[in-house]
Amino acid sequence: MSMEKRPHDMGGEPGGPIDTVDRGMKFWEKQANALRSTLTSRKVVRLDELRRAAEDLGERYLQLEYFERTTHALRTVLVERGFITEAELAAKMAEVRKRYDSIANGR
Amino acid sequence: MSHEHDHRHDRSHDEGPPSEWEIMSRAMQELLIEKGVVTAEQIRARMEKFDQDFPYRGSRVIAHAWADPAFKRRLLQDGKAACADFGIDLEADKLIAVENTPEVHNVIVCTLCSCYPRALLGMPPTWYKSENYRRRVVREPRAVLREFGTEIPEHVTVRVHDSNADMRYVVVPMRPAGTEGWSEERLARIITRDTLVGVTLPKASSGSGS
Repeated sequence: MSMEKRPHDMGGEPGGPIDTVDRGMKFWEKQANALRSTLTSRKVVRLDELRRAAEDLGERYLQLEYFERTTHALRTVLVERGFITEAELAAKMAEVRKRYDSIANGR
Repeated sequence: MSHEHDHRHDRSHDEGPPSEWEIMSRAMQELLIEKGVVTAEQIRARMEKFDQDFPYRGSRVIAHAWADPAFKRRLLQDGKAACADFGIDLEADKLIAVENTPEVHNVIVCTLCSCYPRALLGMPPTWYKSENYRRRVVREPRAVLREFGTEIPEHVTVRVHDSNADMRYVVVPMRPAGTEGWSEERLARIITRDTLVGVTLPKASSGSGS
């Protein structure tokens, strides 16, 4: 394993002004957080493996928003650990997408 | 299913169509529920805790520490055990309470991710997770605090604590003058989340008018 500093290891680097307003969370982010927290508190997955999966994102780490990153990490770990397969996830995502579309069209 | 209805209802506050990430998150949740790994009820209960329970615990604990010196000593010795005495299970491995004094001001960060005493303060605010806060607060804490409107005098040492998944921090601010004789409930109202992260200081004036 390389000892090179990875993108998540940013403490001490120069940065711009801080937006000191708390922007809150979207509903899906609250739900994603609750899912992750339920899984870690029940020890289905470990916080450390989720963090490792996020840190493995490399350059993509800085391109993704916080909950995009955690969602990506959860997907990686759930597939690695065999809780879900890529095919199951793709099928379920298509189903969810279709449901959202039909809700949007029904408005 | 009733949660479909709730979901649609709550989601309406968000703007625009769902992103691929939202769809992925939702799909993982549904798959895990179908497979019996978690239940919808567990996730809903968890959301409620984050919304209604966790964010207010920290203020109550620190107000109790201000009012009861023996509890404060215990909190500073072993944060997790003191919280357990107070009926709060922190889940994380270790809580380190750091006390502000006339000589030392403390501020917390997680430079590597976003570790935060969530069971005590709820979800971290957006800025705590931001790259600029993570980058800068360890190098130029006084400048960062100034952006929050907090000026720490030069003679006061500023100590920055970098959290990790197994070790979370909470700041015990100094009880401001003018709060003598206040109930713990009233004290808790001036102990905001930001004062417990150390980016602002509690003020007696913000608790008046109640």
